[in-house]
Formats: sequence, C-alpha cells, structure tokens
Amino acid sequence: MAATGAIAARPRKRTWLDLESGPAPSRSAVLGVRIVFAIVVIAIWEAISASGLFFGDVVPSLVKILASMWRLLIQDAFWTNLQVTALEILVALGIGAAAGIACGIILGANGFLRKAYEPFMYYFSPTPRIILFPIMIMWFGIGVESKVALGALSSFFPIALSTSAGMALIDKVLIRVGRSFRASAWQMATKIYLPAMRVPVLTGIRLGFGLAMITVLLAETKLSNKGLGYLVMQFYQRFDMPTLYALLIVLFLIAGAGNALIGRFERASR
Amino acid sequence: MSTPVENAADPLLVIDNIYKRFGTDADATVAVDHMSFGVKPGEFVSVIGPSGCGKSTLFNIIGGLLGDYDGEVRVGKERIDGPHPAIGMVFQEESTFPWRNVIDNVAFPLELRGVPKSERQDRAHHFIDMVGLANFEKRFPSQLSGGMKQRVSIARTLVSEPRILLMDEPFAALDEQTRLLLGDKILQIQQQLNQTTLLITHNLTEAVQLSDRIVVMTYRPGRLKRIVNIDLPRPRTSEVVGSDAFGHYVAEIWNDLREEASRGMVDAEASISRRSAARG
Repeated sequence: MAATGAIAARPRKRTWLDLESGPAPSRSAVLGVRIVFAIVVIAIWEAISASGLFFGDVVPSLVKILASMWRLLIQDAFWTNLQVTALEILVALGIGAAAGIACGIILGANGFLRKAYEPFMYYFSPTPRIILFPIMIMWFGIGVESKVALGALSSFFPIALSTSAGMALIDKVLIRVGRSFRASAWQMATKIYLPAMRVPVLTGIRLGFGLAMITVLLAETKLSNKGLGYLVMQFYQRFDMPTLYALLIVLFLIAGAGNALIGRFERASR
Repeated sequence: MSTPVENAADPLLVIDNIYKRFGTDADATVAVDHMSFGVKPGEFVSVIGPSGCGKSTLFNIIGGLLGDYDGEVRVGKERIDGPHPAIGMVFQEESTFPWRNVIDNVAFPLELRGVPKSERQDRAHHFIDMVGLANFEKRFPSQLSGGMKQRVSIARTLVSEPRILLMDEPFAALDEQTRLLLGDKILQIQQQLNQTTLLITHNLTEAVQLSDRIVVMTYRPGRLKRIVNIDLPRPRTSEVVGSDAFGHYVAEIWNDLREEASRGMVDAEASISRRSAARG
C-alpha cells in the first residue's frame, strides 16, 4: 500500500498559518473535535475532583454539580431571581440600543459632529462601567434601577459607535439611486439607510448585550438584594460550591443562547 | 400639471448653455463650459470625452442630483429643478441593493410610488425578462456577475418608464466582450421601446455602436467640440463593429478625441509629479 501514492501529485505543503486554505473542513470533523475537547475537559475536572488535591467542595464532582443544578432549577428563588436579572438586562439593552442607535445616526449623518465627539466615545468606551456603580447607587438606589442604568450605559457605546461607523460606510451610490427615484425622507430612512446599516447595528447590539450582561451581573454581585449575581454571592457565602458551579453553568448557557439568538438575526439579514 | 405641446421634431431633452465650476474664485475648475445640445424623441445620443472632462458632472446635472449651475436643463418646455420623473438614471457604479433580490430591486421605484405588490411584480418581471434575467429573479446581487448586476440596474430604471434614459458609463467596469454583448441588449431594448437615451461614455466603440449622434467634449474645461451623426443602419447589432463605415467613424472621432485625451494625460502626469515633488 505504501508505494501506490508516490507518483500522485503531492499537495502543496501547508504551514499552520495558512490563509489560502485547502478544502473546507468537514462538519463531522469539526463536531468530533468539539466532542473530544468536551470529554477531555470533563475527564480532567473529574480527575482533579477525585484526586482530593483540593479541600472539600472547591472542585466538586460533576455528579454533585448536576444534582445541585436539579435542586436549583426546582427552586422558586432561582426563577424569581432569573426574572429580575433578565428584566434588568433587557431593559438596559433596550435603553442602550435606543439611545445608541439615535446617537449613532446623528453622528453618522453629520461629519462635523462625528469628528468632534467620536474620540470621547472611543476613549470612554473601554472604561469598565462598574467604576460608576457607586454613583449609580447614589442616584438610583441599590435596587433594580441602578443595575439597569449601568447596563444601559455599557451597551450604549458599542451600539452608538457601530451605528455611526455603519452609517458612514453606506455606499453613497445607493443614496443617489434613492434620490434619483425621488424617494421621500421617510422612504430614504426605511428603505435605504436602515437596511444598509442593519449588519453593523446588529453587531453593535450583540456586543452591547454581552456588555450589559457582564455589567448587570457584576453589579448584582457587588451590592444588591435580588438577581442571579446576588444568588451567586449567597451560594459563595454559604460555601455551597456545587450549587455555585451549577448556577455558573446555567449563566453560561443563557449568555450563549442570547448571543446565538442575536447572531442568527445578524446572519439572516446579511 | 400642464403638459406643454410638443412637436415630434422638437428635442425632448434640452441642454441649454450649461456652465458649472467647482471651487472658489482663486482656484476654480470649470467642469462644464457652456454646453448646449438636444436629444430628440426616440434618439440615442452619446456624450464622449476623455477622463476628467466633466462628463459625470454633466450626468449629475441632467439627472438633477447636482445644483448650483448656470444654464438650463429642460424636458420638453419644462425646466428641471432636481430629479425629474421623466429622467431615469443608470449609474456607473454597482448600484443594486444587496439586501433585495433581483425582482425586489427592480420593483423598487414602483414600491416608492405605492404600486400594489402583484402589479409591481408583474411589471418588474416584464423588464427583468427584457434584460434577459428571467431565471434569476430570486437571486441576490452577491450571486450575480458584474454584467448581470448592471442589467438589474438598467431594468430597475426602465421599470419606472422614464421618457429619457440617462446612463453614465454603465459598462465601464466590464470586459470588452461582455460590453459588446450588453451593447446588443441595449440596442435591442432601445429599438423595442423606442427609448430616448443619453449615454455618457469614454468608450469609442460603445458610442459608435449604439448612437445616432455623438457629442464630443473637450478636456477641461468641458466644451462641446463637435457633434457627429452616425449614419449606420438600424436595427443594429454588434456585428456593425466589423464594417468599414464603423471603422471610419471610430477613426474620425478618435481624431477629435486624441488631442483632448493627450491633454488630459499630460495634465494628470503633471499633477502626479507636482504631488511627488511636494512630498520629496
């Protein structure tokens, strides 16, 4: 068998960093790698847990975590706190998106304003919003409102920046087409500007969703009396590590599902 | 709206003494310098000139997208002031809407006018068929070639049934063979609809292949140099490219154009060397 392939044309040798890629990877190969990766991670986790290297429940066995997850999911407390957090994130994202898209359109439509204000937004945008939490508590109290305010502030910047960038990148000839067919201002906005900007706007919303979620949960762990972040700290203070891990897994799944949902809109609108 | 009485021999589109310059007094460029000509109903006229002669400026003025000029553009007896429903523009750049499929792209002007969906689909279908894309109605522009996209743009403009079709180098980005074949398509459509057409181009063979008359422009400032009547038989196809008469017209117009084009080239090279001297 060894000699049969010797005369066949040899494929170009590929380095590990090769953008001019060969055949597209098969779906089953990709899926296989993912499954193997998950199994390896679980096996290492279980091995560490069984080795007794760490004290008590610092690395609990998966069986324990799954059992805790079950107990967690049948509690009313989990669902009421989930509702609080979900509401905070959605309201924050709603406010951030409305304000961000409006500001982005104003900046995108006006080159002077964009030049004047965009640097502030770029400098302020990477600042962790959590440092404003004390101020938000003073303004809005320790309840839901201060988390919503902080989450809205977080999601505002990426949405405003990508909206204004998306607006500036609209192909100018499409605007001339609209004008040549005598589209009204409303028709220009709804039939040309918005559809032309939908991809950057949705990308901004996806980034904003991630940031709103981070900020809201972080704020809840700092100072609150409701929400999943609050629940995390409750389990931590009781040193209920299995339930803490269970809750973290649930949070990962929620974050992933939210991202996938927005990503689906993004792709569908391409 | 009152419709002025029009005589068939009168020009449908009148370019009357158009003058346009850009920039301030000290350092102004005259793009179009007192151009006048007319396009009669059913006639195909091309405006040809070297790059940088102000052809596109003229296109935008006639289309009503560029204001602030001296002179008048008239449709019949009516002076235009902004985009006019009688004039349908086709742009040089790829201008289909990437988020709309072919039929929705073509139906766009009808959608703006509030034509009911089934009627606009029917009318869009008619013109898609005319440009030869009947099997591609549900495709998106990203799935089409450059020539197909330009045909979508042309169908989109035709569906609005303009009295005057105004095109700015619609085939500039295409290869020569595709361009000749699309020229055939344009000839066929123009003859079928008896469509009054004004084409802006820098391509000699395209202009001679398609036109009844050719307006030759000078290089900067863009003036009217000459109007050439093309007495090639109609109906025409791209086969005309091989005839003696065709070669004759191309040579004649090139004779006029060569001087202008070389002035343009010298100018462009001078500005490049000025820029690199300033940098060095």
